[in-house]
Formats: sequence, C-alpha cells, structure tokens
Amino acid sequence: MRSITVIGLILLGSAAALTQPMPAAPADPAPPPVQPPGLVTAMDTPNDAGNSISVDWRPSPDEAQGLVEGYVVYRSESAEAPESLWTRVGYVPYGLNQSRDQSVPENGMDFFYRVRVVSRLGASAVSQASNPARSSEQWYNSMRTNALIASLLFVAIVVYFITMAQKGQHLFVRRIAGLSAVEEAVGRATEMGRPILFVPGLSSISDVATIAALNILGQVAKKTAEYDTPLLVPNRDPVVYTVAQEVVKEAYSEIGRPDAYNHDSVFYLTDSQMGFASGVDGIMTRERPATNFFMGMFWAESLILAETGAATGAIQIAGTDAIHQLPFFITACDYTLIGEELYAASAYLARDPKLLGTLKGQDWSKALIVLLLVAGLALSLINPGVRGFILNILTVG
Amino acid sequence: MRRQIPLMLVLVLGIFFFIQFFVPSRLSTNIYQVSLQWLILISAFAIVLAIGSLVNHHLLKIKRRREHWPYSYATLAGLVVMSLLGILGRFPGLGLLDEIYYRLYLFVQAPMDAAMFAILAFYMASASYRAFRARSKEALLLLVSGFFIMLGVIPLGALIWDRIPDIAEWIMMVPNMAAKRGILFGVGLGITATSLKIILGIERSWLGGGGK
Amino acid sequence: MSTDIWVWIAALLSLAIFSYLYKDNPVFRFAEHLFTGLSVGYMIVLMWNNYAYQYIVIPISQQRWITLIPMALGMLYLFRFVPKLQHLMLIPIAITLGIWNGWSIPVVIEADLFKQMQGTMVNTTMFQNPWDPHNGLVVGLLVVVGVVCTVLYFYFSREHRGPLKVASSVGIWFVMIGFGASFGYTVMARMSLLIGRIQFLFTEWIHLIK
Repeated sequence: MRSITVIGLILLGSAAALTQPMPAAPADPAPPPVQPPGLVTAMDTPNDAGNSISVDWRPSPDEAQGLVEGYVVYRSESAEAPESLWTRVGYVPYGLNQSRDQSVPENGMDFFYRVRVVSRLGASAVSQASNPARSSEQWYNSMRTNALIASLLFVAIVVYFITMAQKGQHLFVRRIAGLSAVEEAVGRATEMGRPILFVPGLSSISDVATIAALNILGQVAKKTAEYDTPLLVPNRDPVVYTVAQEVVKEAYSEIGRPDAYNHDSVFYLTDSQMGFASGVDGIMTRERPATNFFMGMFWAESLILAETGAATGAIQIAGTDAIHQLPFFITACDYTLIGEELYAASAYLARDPKLLGTLKGQDWSKALIVLLLVAGLALSLINPGVRGFILNILTVG
Repeated sequence: MRRQIPLMLVLVLGIFFFIQFFVPSRLSTNIYQVSLQWLILISAFAIVLAIGSLVNHHLLKIKRRREHWPYSYATLAGLVVMSLLGILGRFPGLGLLDEIYYRLYLFVQAPMDAAMFAILAFYMASASYRAFRARSKEALLLLVSGFFIMLGVIPLGALIWDRIPDIAEWIMMVPNMAAKRGILFGVGLGITATSLKIILGIERSWLGGGGK
Repeated sequence: MSTDIWVWIAALLSLAIFSYLYKDNPVFRFAEHLFTGLSVGYMIVLMWNNYAYQYIVIPISQQRWITLIPMALGMLYLFRFVPKLQHLMLIPIAITLGIWNGWSIPVVIEADLFKQMQGTMVNTTMFQNPWDPHNGLVVGLLVVVGVVCTVLYFYFSREHRGPLKVASSVGIWFVMIGFGASFGYTVMARMSLLIGRIQFLFTEWIHLIK
C-alpha cells in the first residue's frame, strides 16, 4: 500500500512537472487501472421548471478501497456517439453517486449519460451509457402537497371562525398585559402633555411583522386622535413610511378628526440601521415622549432603543417576533409582546369580530399542532418505525 | 371604487402568488423572478416620498425655528453633498468628486456607524444590570440561564467548575431549543393569519383615510 | 498621533457618538444629524447607480419597453403630492402587499410549522441511551413538553385556568430560560465590537497600541 502511495506521489509530481515545458520527459508508467462505475440511470428531475435531468450510478467497486477521487458526468444525444460528442456536465467527489445536469439544452428530447471514474492515481474508466432520458417541466410540485393541504386547512379553519364571529358568536380573548396597558400609556402621555413615539420596526413591508406593527399603529393612532396626543412615527423603509402615513391618516378620519392629523408626525429618518438608532435616540432625549412603542422587526439596535427609552423614564411597550431581540426588550421595557402576541395585538385592541375570529382560528390550529405533536410522540414510543413515516409526511420540497 | 381597486389587486395577486409557490414550471418561476425585480423598481419610487419627507421635516424645523433647528443644516448639507458627489463622481473627468465621496463614506459615515454599534456593548452592561435586579420568578430564570451561558462561552467558566460549559450547552440545546420552536409555531400561525387578513381585506387600515 | 486629517475626523466623530453615553450634547447632536443626512445621501447614490441604472437606464437604452410598466406603477407613488389623486398611490402599495402576503403563507407554513414539527420528533437513537443528557429519550420528551407548553402559552381564546394555566406557566419558564441563553450569548458577542472600536482609536489615531 505504501509503495502505491509513493508511486502516486511520484506520478503526481511528474504530472505537475509536465505543465512546465521539459525537453526530455521520461515516459510515464501507466497508473494501475480502475474499474468503471456500474449501471447509470437517468431520469427527469421531478418538480422543476425543466431543462434538468438527474443521474445516478452504482459506484466503482474500487471506491470501497478508497481509490476513487471522483466522477465526471457526460451527456450526449446518442448512446453510441464518439468520444468527442460527449459533453462534460458535472463532477462529483467520491461518496456521492448522483448528479443533476441543470444545463439540458432541450425539453422532450432524448439524452444519454456516461460517468467516468477518476482514481486517485490518475487512471480513469468510463461506464456504459445510461438509458435515454427526457427533461420536462412540471406544473405542480408534488413535494409541496403537504404544505398545500396545511395551508388550505388553515384558511378553512380561519374562514369558518370569521363566519361564526360575524354571526354574532361571542369570542373571548385572554388578557395580554402589554396591550391592556396601551390605553393607560396614551392617557399618561396626554396628562403629561408629552408625545407618543411609535417605531414600526426596521424591516421592509415584505416582513409580515411590519404589517402587524402597522396594524397596531392604526389602533394606537385612534387613541392619540381621541385624546389629541402628539404622535411621532420615525421610519426606516420608504414603503413602510408611505403605508404608515396612510394608516395614521385613516385612524384620524375614522375617529372623525381628520383635521387633527399632522402630516409631519409620520416621517422618514434614514435607511442606515445605526443612523436610525442614533436619530431615534435623539428624539427620545429631546422630545421626551411619555410612551415608546417598539413594534415589528428589530435587530441589534433593539437594545440601544430600549435602553435609551428606559433611561428617559418613558413607559415602554415592545413587540417583536425576532427571537434574539426579545430578551433585551424584556429586560428594558415595561411590557413586551412575545412572538405571536404581536400578531394577535390588532385583534385584541380593535375587538373587531372578524379579527377575533381569525385569532380563534389561530388557536384551533395551535391545538391541532399540539395534538399532532403528542400523537406523533405516542406513536413513536409505541412503534419507532412510525417515526419515519411521520417525518416523511413532514418533509418539504 | 377608490378602495375597491386596491382591495381587488391584493386579493388577486395574493391568490396568484399563493398558487405560484406550488407551480415549478418555467413560466411560473419566470413570473416570480420578474415580479421581484419589478417590486424593487416600484418601491424605488417610494424613496422619492421618503426623501421629500426628510427634507420637508428639516426645512420646516428651520423655517419655524423649532428647538435645535441649526442642526437641521447638518442633515440637509450631508444629504445634498453626499448624493451630488456620488452621482456626479461617476461622470468622466470628475473622478476627484468620487474620491471625496469615497472618503466621506470611509472616514465620516462608517466610523459613526461603527461607533454606534460599539455603544451597544455599553448598553449590554446596563441591560445586564437591569436583568440582575430580577423582579420576578420568570426574570430570575432569565438571569440564571444567561449567567450560565456567559460563563460557559469563556474559558473562565470551565476554570470555576468544569461542568459549566456542559450546562451551558445543555441549556442551549434543550430548554432554549424547545422554547424557540414553541415560539416559532405561534409566530408561523400569526404571520399566516396576518397575511390572510390582508389578502381577504379584513385588515385594511393601509388604505388610508383619503379614499373613502 | 496620526497626521492624516481624515483619521482625525473619523476619531473625533467616533468620540462625538460616544459622548452620548454621558448625555445628549451639541457635539452628539451635530454628529447625529450629519449621520442622518450622509446616510440618506449614500442611499440615494446606491439607488441611482445600482437600481435606476440597472433597471431603468439600461433596459430603456436597449428598447426593452416592458420596463415602463413597473416604472409607471412606481410613479403612482408620486400622486401623494396631488391631493385629488392621492388614492392612486394605494395601487403600488396593494401590489406589494398582495405579492408578499400571498407568497408568505405557504413559505411560512413550510419553514415555521413543518420544519419545526420535524425537529421536535423524538429520534430512534434516543431509545438506545434514554438517560443521555444530550440525546436521550428523556431529553427528547422534555423538548416535546417544552414545545407543547410554550405553544399553549400563546393560546388566546380561553382564560388560563386549571391545566392550561399550569401548561402556560411551564411554557413561560422555558421561554425565559431560552431568552436568558440568547441574552448571555449576545452579550459576549457584542463585547468584541466595542473592543474593535477602542483598538481603532488607540492604534490608528493616537498610536498607543502598536
């Protein structure tokens, strides 16, 4: 074995030397031969946009001896094509016996594949050609059937409870401390004659947490409109800024005080994360808002905002689903909405039957998840084999 | 009518892109790609409004001589100088402007950014102090687990007691993981429900007051 | 001491930002306002050089007129300045909301629900050494209990009494231990940022550290 390695090193050395022009290179002794890969199978890659064929093969018997470096995959239009008509389409290191050709030139046309094994010593051997395979595009991703069923089930549950709520069925919501405090917080600001600061997160509108924050902003703005308390809404994202403005305007006109709406209360600060944090810090120390709301998506700046706010003595209500920022809000804010509580907030504050119906739907889905987890656990304990089956159902593509 | 069109658009596009997720075909993926590009372009125009808001905010401040109004000149000057240098610097023969723009970024903007980030560490100290005054049973749990993790990731922890790194890892992998998953289930349902409310037009505060 | 004026500017602005830790002062106020202006200017340049050029100038110069559609839709935002046609700006907002929300439903169901459920399942190796503190069956069961109780903490439409109260209390214990872990971890990571800035001041500016 050691002698083979030595020969290999010499060969590698001479191969490297060959790249330099050398007047009289000694003739290479041929490396020990390697056995070609076994049966090569090609098939259309499932659930894709086409122009892709998946190839797999039985490894070369020499792989078990650790002699194989990797495999080169070739494609051709004919199984008997001469060497020059086989196009190289991929390389995989040993251990992996499959490859995906993403560059198939045409859908619906037969292609053949061959796999060349390359040994560590530089020898190679090519397999027989595969079966013919045609790539095609699919109109339905069957790997996502589980997500489709779950989505439709969720929609059905939510729509059912919305209908029930509209029919006048009473829906109970448990107390959420941070939200019960909203009224009090706005009242306090009014008494002190100070503004209320509302930061709708630092993310864009593509983040649903931002939308949840804007829904809460709508409810808070209704209260500030009622009490005639000044409202400050600094923004980081331009689109969020435009939506926030509409939301506040809507709140003021719904309360019947569109004249009290101040255009300058919702404003754009900057796109820079830390620039935004320093700007809001400045607002907190100079305008001294009595209440700070931090709702939506936050990153590292959460701590700067919450600590500054706490130092100014404001009542602080935060809400986010950013798990890593929650601990900082919890330590520095008076109330913190954790995860889903952020999404439940607008229903809680608005008490609108349709929104409460949605909340009820969420709860039923939660109960369903708990039931599935417990049932899955029980079944796996009774028969560990069931676990594989359950995991299979949950696999997403 | 003013509200109906946006509501219809949200409904139709919402359903379309829900379905798109399940359709891998070329047409479907192309539509998705193009939509993402278009969205970037559409949103870029909102920047005009955003800049308008910022400039207006500071001009008003200066005009009405509100408290601290002179500082607004710094914002306006920074905005005008930076954007002009960056845009004009691209034109041939104006390379010097680009050089100044680059230096303004590197030696003025970036250091302030970094300094603000560094301030985080100071706030960490005050946040830790706050956490250490645990006012409730729950806050005490947060404190104890935080304490073990902090000790667990530095060599000192192992010197105090060689099991501390193990405990820290166990906390990360077991209770922390369980809590994270539990929260994510709720968040997942919350996001889905919020999206659904927007698509179905149940949550429509974004329509603003003007369109009634 | 450095003789480069730019290094001096950088150092003094860093100190201006740090001065806020003492209290709000004119120097910080100046730095903060300048920071806002510069960063918005920088954003304008990025948008102009990258997006406007790539998505507007190039396509139009290549006569790909289709790009006029998103441009026209984007321009509807500008009707914000036309009082009578303000509602037209709701159209680009509606398009943005429709696309993101439609897409997010199945994506989130896959990522937040299915993947988390998969992760919560006990695995077969757990049976071999049930008391293993990292990968034993007991720990596996503990994770399931933690997940279930945390989920139940978020149950909104029922008063938390009786068994639900017990479960949700256990849930909030798990949540707090988890937050403590995340808190501790982040605190240690952030310390290195501060060390980096101090290093700059002492090496580049006053050459105290070589």
